Amino acid sequence: MRSLTRVGASLAAVVTAVALAACGTPSTATTSGKQANLSTPKEKKGTLTMVTKFADPKYAPYFVDVTKAYEAANPGVKIQLEQVGDQPYKDKIRVLSASKKLPDIYFSWAGDFANKFVRANLAADLTSVIGPDTEWGKTFAPAALKAFQTNGKYYGVPIDLDAKYMAYNKKAFAKAGIANPPDSLETLLDDCGKLKSAGYTPIALGNQYGWPAIHYMTQLNAYAVKPDTLSKDYNPATGAFTDPGYVTALTQFQSIVKQCATPQANGLSHEAAQANFLNGKAAMHYLESLEFLALTTKGGASKDLADNWSFFKLPASSSSPGDTKALTGAPDGFMVNAQSENAALAVDFLKFMTNAQNAQKLTADIGWLSPVQGSATSSNSFPQLQEALTDMGKASQFAIWLDTVTNADVANAYLSGVEGLINGATTPQQVIKGVQDAAAKAKKQVG
Amino acid sequence: MHVLNRWRSWVWVLPALALLLVFVYYPIVENLRLSLYSWNAFSAHPVFVGLDNYKTAAEDPIFWRALRNNTVFAVTSLVFQVGFSLVLAAVLEEFVHQRLRGILRTIYFIPAVISITVAGILFSFLYNPQIGLLNRALGALGLVSWQHSWLGEPGTAMWSIIAMSQWQSIGYTAILFVVAIQRVPREFYEAARIDGAGRIRSFFAITVPMVREMTTLITILTISGAFLVFNEVMVMTAGGPSNSSQVLGTWLYRNAFLNDDMGYASAIATVIFFITLLIGASQIYLSRRRRIEW
Repeated sequence: MRSLTRVGASLAAVVTAVALAACGTPSTATTSGKQANLSTPKEKKGTLTMVTKFADPKYAPYFVDVTKAYEAANPGVKIQLEQVGDQPYKDKIRVLSASKKLPDIYFSWAGDFANKFVRANLAADLTSVIGPDTEWGKTFAPAALKAFQTNGKYYGVPIDLDAKYMAYNKKAFAKAGIANPPDSLETLLDDCGKLKSAGYTPIALGNQYGWPAIHYMTQLNAYAVKPDTLSKDYNPATGAFTDPGYVTALTQFQSIVKQCATPQANGLSHEAAQANFLNGKAAMHYLESLEFLALTTKGGASKDLADNWSFFKLPASSSSPGDTKALTGAPDGFMVNAQSENAALAVDFLKFMTNAQNAQKLTADIGWLSPVQGSATSSNSFPQLQEALTDMGKASQFAIWLDTVTNADVANAYLSGVEGLINGATTPQQVIKGVQDAAAKAKKQVG
Repeated sequence: MHVLNRWRSWVWVLPALALLLVFVYYPIVENLRLSLYSWNAFSAHPVFVGLDNYKTAAEDPIFWRALRNNTVFAVTSLVFQVGFSLVLAAVLEEFVHQRLRGILRTIYFIPAVISITVAGILFSFLYNPQIGLLNRALGALGLVSWQHSWLGEPGTAMWSIIAMSQWQSIGYTAILFVVAIQRVPREFYEAARIDGAGRIRSFFAITVPMVREMTTLITILTISGAFLVFNEVMVMTAGGPSNSSQVLGTWLYRNAFLNDDMGYASAIATVIFFITLLIGASQIYLSRRRRIEW
């Protein structure tokens, strides 16, 4: 018993010692304003680390191929490529940055997600190499570069072009007596009635994890609210969300849910809903151009569907004060660690990844549109993909995903609010009240 | 010699002690400290905010909903994984024929060896509002009004997850009870039968008190498990819809990794720690007091 007490006492002493030793500040990213040297290295040598969110077996091989090709061309370079899934990436990159183990090259969404790295001085300023006037910069679509621009500086290398479109089944539209895809929200709602009478679910919607509904809101907000107000509200330092357009957008979404969407959409995953479109039970499905491949025979769709689908941009209401030419979507990109000693080599590799040959390979291998101009040709892509590219060219600007462009608190208020809207548990006014409260909280944190 | 022995025993204990210190006690202390800061993975200057994070928790309706969901989870688990499992174990031991017993025990135990993620995905299909077995079965029975979008409605999401968890765990706890019941000397039952006690009377008068130690253990494990639940919720709803199925674990995760509020997440972790500590301490107290020797 005596020795037990002694063990207990020593244990307590050690715990206290550890506690005292731990009393520093939490270990987080350093903020030295060091600017990485980005000029092409004379001798390409060293080990590059890279983390992507493309672990999906459909997409992963492309990145493996490109890194191998670069290693083959530069025998002195070794690339440690790590690919994780979409959701796990969000945890992993945070843990890596908090523990100062950020890789040389890392994936980022455009919007506030990218800006977090910029604010913490973890993203190298690439303006000198990828700015729109530079040799490399000129090879990209300007809108794609702009998505990674903060305070006039360019921080990201766009890797893909992605936009949200409403795919529709031409056969279903013909059967319901609809000649042309709708050109206004009102017509869309009308068409939903016709499609229902013809025995179809008008729009396949699966909102189990919340983000599919958020993509509708991104587009509807851009239509219903003036661009200046929108960018002011999406900035955590100035967000208020008091414009009546936000309630209008939510009400419009509510109408789409009631008149068009799969009932009980919160209980279905996006993929389960997509299956309804693929098997011809649903007439429309709102999806990203990155997913277009799934609607082709190469991607596993039936020939019947693959030959009979087209797409349109979610139409604006006839009385929309916002930017009706805005298009929901954004490029994804890679950023370079500002503290990396291999920053120059990293930039060289990214140049290789986005050269004309690899950009065409991206479209040919995994069906993504590359932001590198002229990369989609009739030989490496399918017609809908080329149409999408033309349509993106017509867009005035990308409306970046609402859940990545805004502060996380605001995004959460939208996520849970819109889920309630689908269930019929909340009203548009209640949702926007929640968003306003979250915006006030975010303003306090930033300010 | 005596002194040497004592030091030798210390050498044996030391590696385990060091591991415990580094991987258990140090993180606990560090977490406590971090819960007093406002910081995230990207912040340059963590700001000391005292008990602000705890105040935020007290005023956060979702924190309270998560706590309530954990409590509901614990109470339901108690009813099924302790109460129902004990009855199931007794029935298996007392009523079922020897040959069938083994097969049934295996059947009940199988869900426990399925990974939670797999079970979660499996149940997501069962609960699918369009093609799910549950809604189809209800439809076939003419109970159309009972059909729900089980994981998509705030009223049913949490219960659907809890139901899956019970399905998975009942077999496991029942097997633990079977082991405990088998250790009860048969003479007790024979004596009771001679005294004229029926099987139900024997269950309450002999089985229940004799497996008390196991009951205490399973109760503690079940309750603390219910407060640590994470995977089931993450796989099936990720806390939705409208945060209706958030539990403390998922709310912590969301704040740490999606909302970039590590300080608040640490505060939630501290709350979870104290709840489970309390449960653990009561286990030690109760199992000492109630140990039966024979």
